[in-house]
Formats: sequence, C-alpha cells, structure tokens
Amino acid sequence: MIFKLALRNILNNGWRSLINILILSIVLIIIIWMQATYHSWITQAEIQQGLWEYGEGILRARNYDPFDPLSFDESHAKIPSEYQTGILEGDLIPILLSPASIYPQMRMQAAVLKGIPQNQDVVVFPSEKLDHEEGDLVPVLIGQVMAKSSRLQEGDIFTIRVREITGSFNAIDAIVKEVLQIPAPSADIGTIWMDFDLLQKLRNAPDMASYFVMRNSKYFGKETEDFRFVDRNEYFADLYEMMDASSLQQTTIYGLLVFLAMLSIFDTQALAVFRRRKEIGTLSAMGLTKGKIISLFTLEGVLYTAFAIFLTPILGFPLFWYFATKGFPVLEGFDSFGLPGFVEPIMYEYPIGEILVIFAVILVLTAFVSWLPARKISKLDPVDALRGKVD
Amino acid sequence: MKEKVATVRNMGKAYPTGEGNFWALKHINLEFVRGEFCGLVGPSGSGKTTLLNILGSLDKPSEGEVEVLGKQVHKLNHRQASELRAENLGFIFQTYNLLPVYSVYENIEFPLLLLKMDATKRDRMVRDAIEWVGLEDKIKSRPNQLSGGQCQRVAIARAMVKRPELVLADEPTANLDSENSYMILDTMQNLNKELGTTFIFSTHDQKVISYLKRIITLTDGEVSCDDIQIST
Repeated sequence: MIFKLALRNILNNGWRSLINILILSIVLIIIIWMQATYHSWITQAEIQQGLWEYGEGILRARNYDPFDPLSFDESHAKIPSEYQTGILEGDLIPILLSPASIYPQMRMQAAVLKGIPQNQDVVVFPSEKLDHEEGDLVPVLIGQVMAKSSRLQEGDIFTIRVREITGSFNAIDAIVKEVLQIPAPSADIGTIWMDFDLLQKLRNAPDMASYFVMRNSKYFGKETEDFRFVDRNEYFADLYEMMDASSLQQTTIYGLLVFLAMLSIFDTQALAVFRRRKEIGTLSAMGLTKGKIISLFTLEGVLYTAFAIFLTPILGFPLFWYFATKGFPVLEGFDSFGLPGFVEPIMYEYPIGEILVIFAVILVLTAFVSWLPARKISKLDPVDALRGKVD
Repeated sequence: MKEKVATVRNMGKAYPTGEGNFWALKHINLEFVRGEFCGLVGPSGSGKTTLLNILGSLDKPSEGEVEVLGKQVHKLNHRQASELRAENLGFIFQTYNLLPVYSVYENIEFPLLLLKMDATKRDRMVRDAIEWVGLEDKIKSRPNQLSGGQCQRVAIARAMVKRPELVLADEPTANLDSENSYMILDTMQNLNKELGTTFIFSTHDQKVISYLKRIITLTDGEVSCDDIQIST
C-alpha cells in the first residue's frame, strides 16, 4: 500500500521526479566511470609492471634498497650456487644494478645502470636489442621518461662512467639503440639498460647480481643469506600508495557529487512535506500512523535512487561501451609523466562488486536525506495538517 | 434503549494564547447514539470543528472525558487513536481531501488496505460503495477529472466503504452548489437509514440543517441548544 502510493506520487510528480532521477543517474554514471578508470588503471599498471619487471617474483640482494640511492653502490651480492641451475634453465634472470654518471651533450647526469641478460624471455623487456659485437659502441636502451630528462634520442652517443666495486673508475661510450615505451616507471625513470655481462665487466663484479626475476614459483621462499624474496605487496607498495592517494581525491569528488544529488532530493522531499500537509492530515485521519506516513515520504526518496539505478546502465551504456572497447586514450605527454600503466590506452573493466556497493551506499544515503524532512511529520498535529498549517 | 456511540462529559478544549488560555469548548456534555443523523451547528469560531476533531480522535480535550465506541479518546496514544480511526471512523471533509494520484476506485479502496482485508472481499466492498454513491461510470477517473459533487461522493464512499460505526462530516456541502448538496445529503441520509451508521455533521448550511434529526447548537464554545427534530 505504502509502496504503491509512493510510486504513484513519484510518477505523478512529473518533471520534478525526472530531474531528480536524471541528476542522480548522471552522478552514478560519473562515479561508475571514475571507479572503472581507477580500477582499470590499477589493474593495467599491475599487469604491465609484472610483465616488465616483476615476473612471478623477485629475489633481491639484501644490500639493495630501491628507496635509498646511496645504497646502490653496494646493492649486489654473489650469485648463490643454489640459483645457478635456475639461471641456466631460464627460471631466474639476474639483474645487476650500478650507479653511474652519464655525459650526454657535455652535461653530467646521475643515472642507474641495469644489466639484463640478452637472451632472457622472463620479462617483456626487449633485451635482445642489447646484442653487439666486440669493438662496437655499447648499445643501451632507455625509456621515454629517461630520454626526456637526459635529452637523449635514438642514435645518440654518450659516455658512461661507472665505479668498479674495487673503487677505481671505468668509462665506456654508449649508443642509444632505442627509446622504449616502458609502462613501468621504475624501469624507466633515471635508468639505462645494458647487457648484463658487460655491466659485470664494467663493474668488475663477476658473479654478482642485484636481484633475480622469477619465471615461475619454483624459487618461492628459496631465500639465501644474501638474497630475500620480495612479495607482490612489498613490490607494488608505492603503486598502491599512489592509488590510495588518488582514491582519496576520488572519494572527495564522489562525496561532492553525491552531496549535490542528495541536496536535490532533500529539497524535493522538504517541499513535498510542506506542499502535501493536507494529504498528510487526510492519511492520518484515515488511520495511517505517523511512522507509516514518514515511511511513505522516505520511500519516495529511495524510489528516486531506484529509478536512477535502473536508468544508469541505459543512459551510461554508450560511454561505458566506448571506454571498454576503445579504452582511455593516452593523452599527449602522458606517456612521459612516469605514471604506471600509462603507455597504452586503458581498457575499461567495470568492477561490478564495487558498483553494487556504491548503489547500496547511495540508496542508504537517499533514505536518510528523505527521512530528514519527513521526520517533521512526527511533530505535525493532524488537525493542523488538515488545515494546511505547518511549523 | 439505543447503544451509545459517543459520550462527552464536562469536556473543554483550551488553546494557549499570549495572555493565558482561550477556551474553544467549555462544559460540553453530550451523548450520541447509534443511527443518529445529527449536526453541530453554529457560527464560525463556535467550536464545531474542534468538537468534531476530538470526537474523531484527531485532537484531545484539555479537560473532561470523551468516549467514542468504548474507547476513552483522551487516554489514547497516537497509535491507538490511529487504530480507532482506521477501524471505526469515517471522515468527510469540506475540501474532499482525495488522494490526487489515485483513481476513484483506489481512493475508496485505500481505507480497506489499511485494514489488510483480502482482495476479493475488498473488491466487493469497494464496488458496493461505488454503487451507493452512483459513480460506477467514473471508477477509473482521477479526482482532477471529477466535478466537486462527484469528488464529495467519492469522499462519502471512502468514508463509508469500511462500514464504520461513526462518520464525521466537516462542512461537507460548503464547496458545493445546491443540486450537488442535496444529492450528497440524500446519499448520506440513505446510508444512515440502510446501514444504521451514525453521522455527525459540523455545519452552518441550512440545506444540511434541514436534513438533520438532531441539531446541537454551539455558541462561543458551549452547547446552547440540543434539539431532536420530529420527522414529518
């Protein structure tokens, strides 16, 4: 009975109802789109960083702290004998890391050299491009962010100076073989990639490595005195932190949007209580309790959201479909921002669970903001209501 | 001896004003029996509607006792008063007060929905009520598609559909022309005779007064005259 009356009231309200439903629906479309952006970006960033750097896991030298550049000089350890089989069978690829100074166009700049075996196929990094003959200039690969910060381009020749682990300095001339689009910032920013064996020689660090990337789970937990296992949570911690910061901004925007939509519903329901006081009096005279009359007005508010939820997939379909099939385009310059996952269009996935939670939260909020003006009815004297009086 | 429907003893109703209380009703002592067709008559401000509202448990007296259908109105809480109205009382208002979003049928059905009656019985009762007021051809119309007289007939059917013991009608003809006024008065008189329902009117309309079997005149909040009319 209450539901039927509420439904009729909403339908009879004409354009006022339509405006409320449309506003709510647009808010929901924006929220779903933003949530999908966030969700798809984090998914894509994790996948890309996994493909380019993390593989199935990492065994990292205990001396190596990626957050402490001053430790990079010591960030290696002797390759343990128990890893040799894994390296030979291709289950582990060793990476050596070294601080360096580079001299592009007569400038000096700090950089990190990373040595990777040419023949690896554990990560998607095109290390085969580091192949070279004796006497050639040393080929190196850099990412777009590094290219921008060092002003190096494909074919540029520059000098690299590295300190051997014994303390003396070594220098080579290198040529930028290719500038890569690397969606994992830590493999791009300030990094120059070269052949693993060559870097070992340059550092005078035979049998040394900074970390190993795993092809599979065979080496899970196989830590040694010098190498420890880095799990996904630790490895992606900074990505998650970045996402958390972004999530906070998003929540603020959601809050603002929802607030505006709720304001519109509150306004409509407050006006309805004022305009329909005679109806309230009549319902009371017919024997409806105040609780039921409050429920009626609250339900009307909730129905706005229910209609908006129904309308959202219909109105939002073109937008949702476009971003699911075409993806969010990489805007000009975005690829050099060093944002993880921002190298190719982000293909949208819609997190159904999160969207349902958003719908539920908005339903509860609508019920609350509709109840706020409706609770005035509990103080309304039926005789005053019948006379059309209201406080 | 006829069964009492409502009893009012030493009842008064005061409204607070800046300078103390204004007594809208004073020393009211009345008894209403089953099947009465009576009216509270008097000029504006004499307390007719206030007394009607108290009898309808929409308002409470400031002093004295009011008993309606065995329930002490002055002691009822909000829920009990709602129950009394839903089960035993019917209201007819000057401005009809129909639910604008409902059809004639749905407006009349509404009080039965409150009683949680089963659908078949409900449908039969609604159709009976529509027949009483002669609106069979307007069953699907909305109030905004009806004339004033038709709206008031819907209001009568809505008040009568659950066959209440007591119907309270506040100036039911005030917004109607003579023809419609007589039509609805005839309808109410017939229902009073056929169903034995007690009708209490609040009115100063001579047309209504001419139909009443008992006229209770209120002057400045007091009963100044209580006349039983002898039917001719």
